[in-house]
Amino acid sequence: MRRQPSLRAPTRLIGRFLARNPIFVGILGLVVVTTIVEPQFATAGNFHNIIRQFGTLIFVSLGMTFVIMAGFLDLSVGGIISLVAVVTATQIDAIGQGPAIALGLLIGLACGVLNSTLILKAGATTQAESLFITFGMSLVYGAAALIFTQGGTTYLSYSVSSISIFDAINSGSIPLVFFSVPVSFVLFVVCAALLLVVERRTYMGRAVLLTGANKTASRLAGVRVDRSIVMIYAVSGLMSAVASIVLISQVTLASPVIGQPYLLQAILAVVVGGTALVGGRGSVLWTAFGALLLILLNNCLDLLGVSTYIEFMFRGAILILAIWLDSRRAEGGAARMAPVEAPTIAEHDLVEGA
Amino acid sequence: MADVEQASQPLLSVRDVSKAFPGVLALDHISLDVYPGIVHGIVGENGAGKSTLMKILSGVYAKDSGTIVFDGQAIERTTPVLSMKMGLSIIYQELNLVNTMSVGENIFLGRFGETGGRRGVHAKARELLDRIGCKVDTHRPVSELSVSDKQMVEIAKALSFNSKLIIMDEPSSSLTEDEVRSLVGIIKDLKSKGIGIIYISHKLDEIFGFCDVVTVMRDGRVIATNAVSAVSRGEMILMMVGRTIDNEFPPRPDCVEEPILEVKNLTTRKLHSVSFNLRRGEILGLVGLVGAGRTELVRALFGADKVGRKTVLVDGKPVKIGGPIDAIGHGLAMVPEDRKAQGLLLKFSVEWNISLASLAAMSHFGLLDDSLEASMCERQIRALNIRTPSGKTRIESLSGGNQQKAVVGRWLETKPKILIMDEPTRGIDVGAKYEIYLLMKRVVEDGGSIILISSELPEVLHMSNRVYTLCEGRINGEFDPAQATATEIMAKAFEFA
Amino acid sequence: MTTTSVPIVRRVLGLQKAFLAIVLTVLAMALLNLLPATRNDFFSGYNLVESLLKSNSIYVILAMGETVVLVAGGVDLSIGGVMSLAGIIAIQQVNAGTPAPVAIAACLIVGAVVGAVNAFFSVYQRLEPFIVTLGMGIILTGVGQQLTNANPVSSADPAFLNIANFPIFGFLPTLVVVTVLTVAGVYFVLRNTSFGRNCYAIGGDYEVAKYSGIDVLRTKATTYVVSGVTAAIAGVMLSSQLNAGNSIFGDQTALYVVCAVVVGGTSVAGGVGGAIKSLIGIMLLGLATNALVMLKVDSLVLYLTQALTGLIIVSILWLDSYGRKRRREDV
Repeated sequence: MRRQPSLRAPTRLIGRFLARNPIFVGILGLVVVTTIVEPQFATAGNFHNIIRQFGTLIFVSLGMTFVIMAGFLDLSVGGIISLVAVVTATQIDAIGQGPAIALGLLIGLACGVLNSTLILKAGATTQAESLFITFGMSLVYGAAALIFTQGGTTYLSYSVSSISIFDAINSGSIPLVFFSVPVSFVLFVVCAALLLVVERRTYMGRAVLLTGANKTASRLAGVRVDRSIVMIYAVSGLMSAVASIVLISQVTLASPVIGQPYLLQAILAVVVGGTALVGGRGSVLWTAFGALLLILLNNCLDLLGVSTYIEFMFRGAILILAIWLDSRRAEGGAARMAPVEAPTIAEHDLVEGA
Repeated sequence: MADVEQASQPLLSVRDVSKAFPGVLALDHISLDVYPGIVHGIVGENGAGKSTLMKILSGVYAKDSGTIVFDGQAIERTTPVLSMKMGLSIIYQELNLVNTMSVGENIFLGRFGETGGRRGVHAKARELLDRIGCKVDTHRPVSELSVSDKQMVEIAKALSFNSKLIIMDEPSSSLTEDEVRSLVGIIKDLKSKGIGIIYISHKLDEIFGFCDVVTVMRDGRVIATNAVSAVSRGEMILMMVGRTIDNEFPPRPDCVEEPILEVKNLTTRKLHSVSFNLRRGEILGLVGLVGAGRTELVRALFGADKVGRKTVLVDGKPVKIGGPIDAIGHGLAMVPEDRKAQGLLLKFSVEWNISLASLAAMSHFGLLDDSLEASMCERQIRALNIRTPSGKTRIESLSGGNQQKAVVGRWLETKPKILIMDEPTRGIDVGAKYEIYLLMKRVVEDGGSIILISSELPEVLHMSNRVYTLCEGRINGEFDPAQATATEIMAKAFEFA
Repeated sequence: MTTTSVPIVRRVLGLQKAFLAIVLTVLAMALLNLLPATRNDFFSGYNLVESLLKSNSIYVILAMGETVVLVAGGVDLSIGGVMSLAGIIAIQQVNAGTPAPVAIAACLIVGAVVGAVNAFFSVYQRLEPFIVTLGMGIILTGVGQQLTNANPVSSADPAFLNIANFPIFGFLPTLVVVTVLTVAGVYFVLRNTSFGRNCYAIGGDYEVAKYSGIDVLRTKATTYVVSGVTAAIAGVMLSSQLNAGNSIFGDQTALYVVCAVVVGGTSVAGGVGGAIKSLIGIMLLGLATNALVMLKVDSLVLYLTQALTGLIIVSILWLDSYGRKRRREDV
């Protein structure tokens, strides 16, 4: 450590904070550069724009964080979003907005629990196994959505009541000091705060990290690993449901394939934020900032007039860049997935490459 | 027994080779000679240094000092491939084969092109296997083979490199009598062709049965090298075991007669209906060779492994232990053998490691109480004298001894009735070892009981009130270490059926 | 002596063949059901084979490259992106007047370059190939979008269609021939060349392979290049078959292909599998999904195929994990 007697304690603290949470460096850098290049970035109007973007993506990413922290993956979020979207949208007229939303959340939760039950029963201990099982389930949930709507798209109608929850989510705002904060942002803050509390202060939250760090040692010490696995998938399913409801509020329609693009973006936000893919290190806070970085980047590129397609390319490049930087920084292993267990192959399956 | 006719020049000459790892001197000025056409046995307890020496010879490790001359060539640093090409092959206990591939391909792994492709590989493999009388089809995947056949494949592989010296590490541990006989036949055949064989084994019958020369190793040193005909079984065990007591041990604690733990008919894949008991306030030692089943026994007891059958009584009452959570609930605790993989969360703080088994106790309605955690950690750090800058330090930066103390502290927090310690002082410096011994004594003085597994004989014998010996999944002896000698006890451990 | 006992059915049939038996049984049952909507010519052998081949050839080509990567212990999720980009480049170049062979060569080179980049990050930088190739796929899709403004493109030159559709010997479309050649090529390489055998060794046991002197890094890197090239071939074929290049192609393809290949018996852990196994996997999944479509029971069927695909993947892999769980010692 460099000895600089004139360095004041706060500055050193900040330095250490930045070193431990490099995502902030990225965000700060981006903000500074963009403001220089495109001054419109730093206006109140643009700020409002950015805040409004805290929607679907961020909820999914928050949910995905726990799963990745525990050393697993949930590829079924796209399917869950689609399923929840169509069920909620179609049931508004039948049972009312509130109950429809509740139903949607329940479905998300149920899907998550189903995922975890399958994984536990299969004795799936590796990330790769959870990958394939949840991918398959994504197809199943998506198919359920398709079957439910016979492929059609539902448009939300507000004819039932003059006050619409969905409308509120979409464009309502809560006045707070000088700003009117969009409801979706408030929702995000509430969810993030709750999840952060769970992560830092509860037994289950701790169990998630322990499971990801060393499942064997944790099991031997009596940590409830299996329960934490159920919890991570349940949370992921629930957050996907929340994301779905925000989504249909914003686009005022629900199609059975609506959830597809969000999976990759969610993983991206988590990885960019600094949560280790291999598990055992991470935080929903980091993911929130990872998502923020992505939103800022999008915003910046938009202001610069860069085509949306190039933005798309950027996402892929950032994904790779993020894990590359992370692997150089961490003491070997953050960018690596949990090693795949060598399978015991049924004897007759083994031939010389048939 | 063949006459030991030695060629004038040794095939392998090792002089003053030493090798140290952090905290432990694995080899201390080893010297030995191996001659062609001779079966050279090497015996020694766990940790004597045999496998380290073999790994240096085959190129997995590098020696720190000394000279090695093989086939007239001095070897400084080699790699596994190079040593094979030079004619030195080693057949490990954990066989070095790719399970998913066929026999033929494994023999010529990485040499597919040189041997004329698919047809060439299988033809040549067939030839080699026929030479040693092995009838296995070269197309079969290795995973289908029995251990004995896999060894044949390894031998064929060694022959394919025209090996002059073949090292076999515990080859017979998984073989039946018939298979051992057939292996011996092959060894004698190889010997007659002038190939030198180093045969590492715990089975003294085999050493006396077909080895010509035997080297006894202990604590990283060569004690003696003799012709097999010139030494008796008793003398050999004495050489393996006898040592000056360097370490001090606290006096043995007292204990009572009544059992706190009874285990009946414990059966797993490796264990054959084992029954034993543990008395209140006692330190019970489990002695046996690697693979005898000691760790399997405690893991099965603790619920970490599946069992076929088991009956467990704690304090006289039958209990069901289906998993670690049950075990902890009934007052058991286990410090695992493999500290790094199964005990520590390396990237987390000392605090988190210590509180690992007590999280439930630390929480009210699902919420963790941080202050409880901090005080818990403080308590253990002080009580166990764990040297760490603070409770929040990452545990991987602590020394092995202090890491182990943290793991022990984790379990002490649960106030266990029965504490299982599997190799608790492995890889720890002398000072820390003594602290752990004192700790163990304190545990039993406070009313707990300990099951101790250790490969260091003096440790087990001096700390335990009672000792069981295990061999091949069975308990075959019970001793009072104050009365019995180390040699008697170890003889039981070597008593294969 | 100490062979692990395996249930009779699995020993006789093998996982994928057990599955085949189930599928065929289901089909037979459906036939016996005599649904009025069932078309008779479904079961005319030629029709079945023809339609199966036509709809799955592209997947087969992709699966061949993916198999090589998986056998060596890696994974390549960028194949969808490579495929769509290659198709777009092919069409755009042909439309711009570049002679077809040059355009095709350009596509193959692009595929190889992508493979090399994947290899750099996954093999040499030792990053997780799952993420690296996923990110690469995203980048390539974006490039494709940029080149086409996210609109589908097609070729003005009718000869372009010939690349995939020209009937050789009067009845075999070029696509089928290319597919067969790809399968044969990968089969040969994996079975009979040093490179192929080394891939199995690396995937089977990385350490043992390394200690045996195999250049593990170079071999693994080559597998990614192979995968990139076959994906490019698939892309050219697809765009020619449909006379359309669209950046949306290949969205879910990568995971589908990997799953189908795993269903066929190639393991995601490496060391096991091969060209024929992967072919069976693609065909089985294709057959199962096709069967329902052709049965034309209901318009619901289209969505049922997706559900069925998902269920198949989950079941097969669940069984695979469960089997491993049962063989393990620990609780």
